[in-house]
Amino acid sequence: MSLVTDQALHLVPGYRLQWEKAQDMFVLLYPEGLIELNQSSAEILQVCDGANKLADIVQTLETKFETTGLENDIINFLNIALENGWITQSA
Amino acid sequence: MAGSLKAPSPPRWLLAELTYACPLQCPYCSNPLDYANFSDELNTEEWKRVLKQSRDMGAVQLGFSGGEPLVRKDLVELVDYSHELGYYTNLITSGYNMDEAKIIELKEAGLDHIQISLQASSQELNDFIAGAESFEHKKVVAKLIKKHGYPMVLCVVLHRQNIHQMKDILEMAIELGADFVELANTQYYGWAHHNRDQLMPTQEQLNTAEAIANEYQESQKGKMKIYYVVPDFFEGRPKACMNGWGTTFLTIAPDGLALPCHSARQLPNFDCPSVRDHSISEIWNESKAFNYFRGDDWMKEPCRSCPDKDKDFGGCHCQAFLLTGDAANADPVCNLSPQHHLVTDAIDQAAATSSEKPLVFRNSKNSKTF
Repeated sequence: MSLVTDQALHLVPGYRLQWEKAQDMFVLLYPEGLIELNQSSAEILQVCDGANKLADIVQTLETKFETTGLENDIINFLNIALENGWITQSA
Repeated sequence: MAGSLKAPSPPRWLLAELTYACPLQCPYCSNPLDYANFSDELNTEEWKRVLKQSRDMGAVQLGFSGGEPLVRKDLVELVDYSHELGYYTNLITSGYNMDEAKIIELKEAGLDHIQISLQASSQELNDFIAGAESFEHKKVVAKLIKKHGYPMVLCVVLHRQNIHQMKDILEMAIELGADFVELANTQYYGWAHHNRDQLMPTQEQLNTAEAIANEYQESQKGKMKIYYVVPDFFEGRPKACMNGWGTTFLTIAPDGLALPCHSARQLPNFDCPSVRDHSISEIWNESKAFNYFRGDDWMKEPCRSCPDKDKDFGGCHCQAFLLTGDAANADPVCNLSPQHHLVTDAIDQAAATSSEKPLVFRNSKNSKTF
């Protein structure tokens, strides 16, 4: 499954993104598993809200961090997340 | 023996074995053989204290297991409380005696996921292995789990008597709508260790099964995730047991004993602490049992000088104990272990075992004989 740019992205049902105080990080939770996320992965997953498409995600994060040129990194991460079945897309 | 002095990482995974009671009798059960001796279960308030203290330390994945956790009358209350604490809650069940009302009630309490086990892909074999008529009901329950929107893991423990059903098992998983399938080759602890000769598959059976699993992993990509757990007896290198002792996993047994791994109760001289006497923080940070295999100070050769020691941590200590009598020995499934022959001998011995030799089923009557 690879990224379709004109479809919104959201977490697969049953997956949950959660801030963990004890570990000082976001984790992605799913049946019998968890993934400890670095900051950039967590930032991207937080805006995979079922409404945002690729361009919205890039724009949101570039605005938030007052920077440009994030698109390639974001695409790479989204492809990994799609491949692993953490997120999915809908028209 | 002191472990590393570095502060341990917090527990991330709490396995709450609510009860050893179970209506099924699977002969590969990982519960201790003498489980019938430990009938003084934690009460609801004690469990809540364990859940709260573990969550405060950092545990976030929570498995309700057993035995059969549905036997506990306070299961819904404990799920509700755990959900409120922010756990991701997993129910690990046989599905026996589950009905739609309970599935709905658990959903409303905030249960995140249900793992249901089947013993085989045919009624006859499933009910034989389970020691109870359960196959048709389990399938109904699996469909109800999906109907009510849970993610579902379908777990099938594999062994010599069902591994030939691999293709049918996977077709059944597709039919039932499983999101994940765990094809777990039997690990030889507890009852499985006792029945090892009758359960151990042959290399040929494993090769066939693995090829089928790989084929379905490919064809089901993006639809159903298939985990095929390779049996370590045939691997040559040990598994990284529990992701490292006392680093990630905390098991609380039905009577409140805190275990670094769910088989650790059997290890002698470990003095596993009880939540009835100590807080989770004391248990995790300070107890002898949890510090025992932290770091690598405890290692003997060939582990101590092994380049893989940070990868597999010397393998499984419970297996080392069961096979060699010393939990600090290298896990003999490792082909670098001087006692690796114990594993190859076990495979040969199982292959030479007649299919007539009866399995010893897991039930209280048999348990009391150990």
